[in-house]
Amino acid sequence: MELQTYSGPIVQLKNVTKVIGKRTIIDQLTLDLPEAEVFGFLGPNGSGKTTTIRMMVGLMALTNGDVIIRGHSIRTEFEKAIRHVGAIVENPEMYKYLTGYQNLLHYSRMVPGITSQRIDEVVELVGLTSRINDKVKTYSLGMRQRLGVAQAIMHKPSLLILDEPTNGLDPAGIRELRDYLRKLAKEDGITVFVSSHLLSEMELMCDRVAIIQSGKLIDVRSIRHEGEAAAAVSNVLFEVDKPDEALRLMASSYPGVPAQNGVTFMVDRDTIAAINTELVNAGLKVYGIRILNKSLEDQFLEMTGGENIV
Amino acid sequence: MFDFLLLVRNENMKLYRRVRTWIMLGMITLLVLAISIIAKIVSDGDVDNWSMMSIETMVLFQLVTIFTVVVSADSVAGEFSTGTIKLLLIRPWSRSKILLSKYISLLMFALVQAALLYVLTFVVNMLLFGYGGSIVAQETFNSNMNPLGYMLVYYFYQFLGLIIIVTMAFMLSTVFRSSGLAIGLSIFLLLGGSTIAGMLSMLDYAWVDYILFLHLNLTQYMGGSESSGMTGEGMTLGFSLSVLAVYYVVFIALTWLIFNKRDVAA
Repeated sequence: MELQTYSGPIVQLKNVTKVIGKRTIIDQLTLDLPEAEVFGFLGPNGSGKTTTIRMMVGLMALTNGDVIIRGHSIRTEFEKAIRHVGAIVENPEMYKYLTGYQNLLHYSRMVPGITSQRIDEVVELVGLTSRINDKVKTYSLGMRQRLGVAQAIMHKPSLLILDEPTNGLDPAGIRELRDYLRKLAKEDGITVFVSSHLLSEMELMCDRVAIIQSGKLIDVRSIRHEGEAAAAVSNVLFEVDKPDEALRLMASSYPGVPAQNGVTFMVDRDTIAAINTELVNAGLKVYGIRILNKSLEDQFLEMTGGENIV
Repeated sequence: MFDFLLLVRNENMKLYRRVRTWIMLGMITLLVLAISIIAKIVSDGDVDNWSMMSIETMVLFQLVTIFTVVVSADSVAGEFSTGTIKLLLIRPWSRSKILLSKYISLLMFALVQAALLYVLTFVVNMLLFGYGGSIVAQETFNSNMNPLGYMLVYYFYQFLGLIIIVTMAFMLSTVFRSSGLAIGLSIFLLLGGSTIAGMLSMLDYAWVDYILFLHLNLTQYMGGSESSGMTGEGMTLGFSLSVLAVYYVVFIALTWLIFNKRDVAA
């Protein structure tokens, strides 16, 4: 039943554990990655992100637990499981003395069914057409990153794993990569697994984020994107000249909390306008209205207890 | 099977797209030319092509071994130090097969060099010194065999020794994941090994007979099956081959075992 109409999670991490010496690097990590989502893997430096990824792609042995990719165990059916995976682990290290094309040719020979048209197509997709016949040692970091993406998607994987993909990219490159990854997930149904310690980046890129600290999974939460925000209640700061008066005025209808330079209310979008009208009608000066969204960063720091990196 | 040949093709591409490889092949060519031309100028015409071919082979086969050791020591360790091993191992191929494709391409590289050396030393010396007939050859080699056939047997014995050294370098490369250490250690053992072995062979212990370096130079058996070299009395070709075979199996087993088990954290 599972194999023919497989619609469950593409990847399952089951009690994944890694012990090196006496240290438990990864502690019973259990995680399901759904289809067609950009899934973020967030944690401070040294929390075990890269180790987890290395275990997912079979570069490191699991001390305990298993990783199931499309129904195949990475431990016992490595070749079947890894066929569905494309990855960049840490930096996109390529053979520098070969050209970009020769690098792709090299990896294309290792998976059956990759035609030379497919290679050209992927080169075009990542925008390297004009430089593909140059040696990789002449490439900039951004171009190597693109070549890395090309080799990872060449065989049409169902799981794309990128370890810190925005490292060394300029803002334009980051934005381009972000858009591209979202497109891969939405249009081609690929599950993209991205690790990062850059919180703001993850917020923009991912549908869901798993947070890991000291090898333990702390939380998995989905991230709201624009459009869903309208109906939601958020914490709104009104900057006014007389905060006390504003508080008293609104006390009956909307209970507020005094804040620096103003008052905050927990209200939805429409109410913001209503409160504003009332304040202005009462003769108060409103200097600014701001939604105090708790950013992922705040939540993250809250959860991981600040700089408590072990 | 066809797919596996593609892996070997990949390894060959990585080998022959490097300038280093062509410098090595170029050096072999140049040295053969240089030695022969100098011999031609210096000699008074009493040199024949067979003795030149034999001398050059003796010297330059050592170089072929060193080149192959350098390339094989770098083969696995290089992928680790540049980090490319990670992208190489996340393909639908077992680690054993990837390692085997590397090993095969290395042996092919050794074969290419040996063939180049054989053809060059024959052709160049024949052009410079003329073709010495069978009587000349018999005098040079002290054997009734066809001279080219004799050289072929000589190459074969040398090649067996080369395989052992190269396999050892390949093992060191896999164990230490450091090209420098693997190259240094292999060449030290290759060059210093015979000296150490020579000293040890004077000792009167039974285990001395089983030291690898006493058996690497199989050409010492070419006069007959009894050893004529420093290995001393009592050694036979069969005994040397058995000792080498045991070392070979151990090297190969360790290499594959370690490569398969090891966590890749480069």
